[in-house]
Amino acid sequence: MSEFLSMSGYGRYLWPAFALGFGVVVLNLVLAWSSLRSAKALARRRMEMRS
Amino acid sequence: MAWVWFHRFGSPPWVYGFARRWAPWFGAVAGVLMLVALYGGLVVAPPDYQQKDAFRIVYVHAPCATLSLMIYTTMAVSAAVGLIWRIKVAHAAAAACAPIGAWFTVATLGTGMLWGKPMWGAYWVWDPRLTSELILLFLYLGYMGLRAAIEDPQKADKASAVLAIVGIVNVPIIRYSVVWWAGLHQAPTKKLGADADMTGDMVWPLLMMLLAFTLYFVAVFLIRLRAELLRRERTATWIREVLA
Repeated sequence: MSEFLSMSGYGRYLWPAFALGFGVVVLNLVLAWSSLRSAKALARRRMEMRS
Repeated sequence: MAWVWFHRFGSPPWVYGFARRWAPWFGAVAGVLMLVALYGGLVVAPPDYQQKDAFRIVYVHAPCATLSLMIYTTMAVSAAVGLIWRIKVAHAAAAACAPIGAWFTVATLGTGMLWGKPMWGAYWVWDPRLTSELILLFLYLGYMGLRAAIEDPQKADKASAVLAIVGIVNVPIIRYSVVWWAGLHQAPTKKLGADADMTGDMVWPLLMMLLAFTLYFVAVFLIRLRAELLRRERTATWIREVLA
């Protein structure tokens, strides 16, 4: 296991690179959902104000 | 069949419904493919004879880089369609692309720096590929900044569309920078077969990861497009129906 994590000595570059890449994958999803939630809330508020 | 089936993509309620139905499917397939490709890239693929295990960064760097260019191209084409044919959905699509593309450009630069340090001895060099990719990030930021700075949505659409279209010139520059100019960044790995640069068990996880990232982009783009349409179509009656 430690051999796998060490990645022939390049683990300190490889794992942060994967964390960054997949971190952006997760972040983009979270930000998109949050943007949709706030757009829905805004649209509902507008509807309530108009009715 | 008349070539009018794609006209429905100009209808905000139809596009909203399409995005709501299909985003989870694209996301689910992308997630499964990502996990399989991750296993292939980290466990199945053998170490490179020169770069050893450091080469595995390609499984995250290349998909991020490909998406950063693909998303910009999608954004510029959508902006052009919106500008020429005055289609609101196209402007919304361009606006939905920008933040996703900007984040993938950040990931491209970051993962590239982490790969560059052990290979070149430096996190950053003013290499043509790195510099043109940095300019791409500024183009994304400029596009989003311009949209945010103009209050009138129609004026914001037009001004940002012009910027997106002008900026497309940077895409082939990034793509061919490693061919046109001498730099530290390696040339594209493209040979397959007997004299391949990469063996089959190195290539399939990369191709699968590229497909997974593309499907993932479609899923996130569809979610952002729904949000963009809700913000733009504030007075439309169909909004009341979809939120009911």
